Amino acid sequence: MSAIDARDVVKTFRAGWMRRRVTHALRGVTLRVPRGAIFGLLGPNGAGKTTLLSILATLLTPDRGTVTVLGHDVVRDATVLRHRLNMATGNASFLWSLRAEEIVAFYARLYGLYGRRLSQRVDDLIELCELGAYRRVLYNELSTGIKQRLALAKSLVNDPELLFLDEPTLGLDPDVSVRVRRRIGDLRRERGMTIVLTTHYMREAEELCDEIAFIKGGLILAGGTAAELKRQIAIGDVIVFRLDPPTAAWIAELPGVLRYAESDGRVECVVDDADKRLPALLEALHAEGVVVRDVRVSEPELEEVFVELAR
Amino acid sequence: MSWRAELVAVWAFALRSLLMASRNVFFFFELLFWPVVGVLSIGLMTKFLHLDAPQTSFVLIGTIALSAIQVCELEVSYAVLYDVWSKSMKHQFLAPIGVRHLTTGSWVVGVIRGLLVFVLLAALSRWAFGFDVLAAGAGNLALFLLGCFLTGWVIGVAVCTLIMQFGTRAEASAWASVNLVLVLAGIYYPVSVLPEPAAALAAAVPLTYFLDAYRAHYGFASEFPHAVTTGLALSAAYLALSHWWLVVAIQRARRTGQLLKMSG
Repeated sequence: MSAIDARDVVKTFRAGWMRRRVTHALRGVTLRVPRGAIFGLLGPNGAGKTTLLSILATLLTPDRGTVTVLGHDVVRDATVLRHRLNMATGNASFLWSLRAEEIVAFYARLYGLYGRRLSQRVDDLIELCELGAYRRVLYNELSTGIKQRLALAKSLVNDPELLFLDEPTLGLDPDVSVRVRRRIGDLRRERGMTIVLTTHYMREAEELCDEIAFIKGGLILAGGTAAELKRQIAIGDVIVFRLDPPTAAWIAELPGVLRYAESDGRVECVVDDADKRLPALLEALHAEGVVVRDVRVSEPELEEVFVELAR
Repeated sequence: MSWRAELVAVWAFALRSLLMASRNVFFFFELLFWPVVGVLSIGLMTKFLHLDAPQTSFVLIGTIALSAIQVCELEVSYAVLYDVWSKSMKHQFLAPIGVRHLTTGSWVVGVIRGLLVFVLLAALSRWAFGFDVLAAGAGNLALFLLGCFLTGWVIGVAVCTLIMQFGTRAEASAWASVNLVLVLAGIYYPVSVLPEPAAALAAAVPLTYFLDAYRAHYGFASEFPHAVTTGLALSAAYLALSHWWLVVAIQRARRTGQLLKMSG
């Protein structure tokens, strides 16, 4: 059963004088997210990622299309659904004069927690998100990284079945990002949570996500696992040679070679399929008397897929 | 939602308001400075104009009511303004709460703060100008205060609605709207002195009736029959209407994206 089943979702924003400025944020998005998966939404700025996430989290209503989340319609059953999901945003903001523990407790109370259960939940989340040293610090005195962890703690107050993370590591130091990513992975593993996240960081998506959808201009252009996306986009495999003599520009003319480049004494070839083309390349180099000192084959980075799709 | 969960959600907003109020210096000005300045300046004016004791009472009732209502109304408005200022609006509307929790929790704190202001100003008025708020009797005073705080609730919810609809552009209404209502309700004068169209509007304001009923105990003939009942009935109707309007505004904000615009 899917955690999310969205079909032909359309969302248009109107602004300005007589509401004449029109932004087509989503133009017919169809998306399925399996239960228990970590699902990534990738795309350039203004692609519609946050709009889609907000619709799925009941913060926005779609203009057209149907959206079923955890078996409930996001418009009709929004209140029921809100008990079972939550969200954390990368640039989250909370009341400036409340302490970290008070913020967590405030949101926990909105889900009906009180008494010992409330104190226990607050303690657990403070510990889980490593906020112990900051629990009595006012929000406006916290650093960006701590605020981000607090946002994550807040998003877990109702122990949600479905968690939305909008740019969860935005602006964080690399070491903090690594810890946040690890925490996200743990949440899925330990609690079986379905997680939908948006990110600009390809490495984050590749490391965390079971499936990825690439969204641009309000449309999903491609979807699947990171490996499937790379295959779908067909930007080829990369073969890196160290040759003696160090150049062999003529191999750019061989069948299946899409790109040829030289840098730092290495030759880099992008071919349509490394398994198929490598033996022929080696044979051709040998026939021309070129000595192959080293050869490495790699898949393209997800970043290259992103660049290709965003183009 | 169980009744206990209802109370917990209301308490969440009440506690949040209390914590915010206790940690921000501008609340001190709302609670003490402006109300005291208001009563002192108006009280001294009554001396300069040589008003007699009933006339002084008439004017001071309006001044004290203004401060108590404004403090209560602002507290209700803060339920939404806090989130606008901190850009955290979406987080509370992501939770399974209703507008009743939001407004009731902050109204409870508004009543507490309003009562503090009232007690302070009543003591000041008694000491400086010889005006006794208890002369009307404790029951009548309690009804008058209830009327004031219900008015503050209605205006506060209306302000929340305007902010949900128009965003930060409507922020000023938090401070302006209560004054407009008080002008119509006859804060320093009987509504009979208002021009005809304004008098008709005054008749639709619940506070008009509560002021009229309370002032009747200080020797002023009541202009309305069953003033307290009418005031309570109007307050109940406006409370229902303003909450419905707020629900509609939030639905609209979810549709237009206003809710997200007011969030980080």
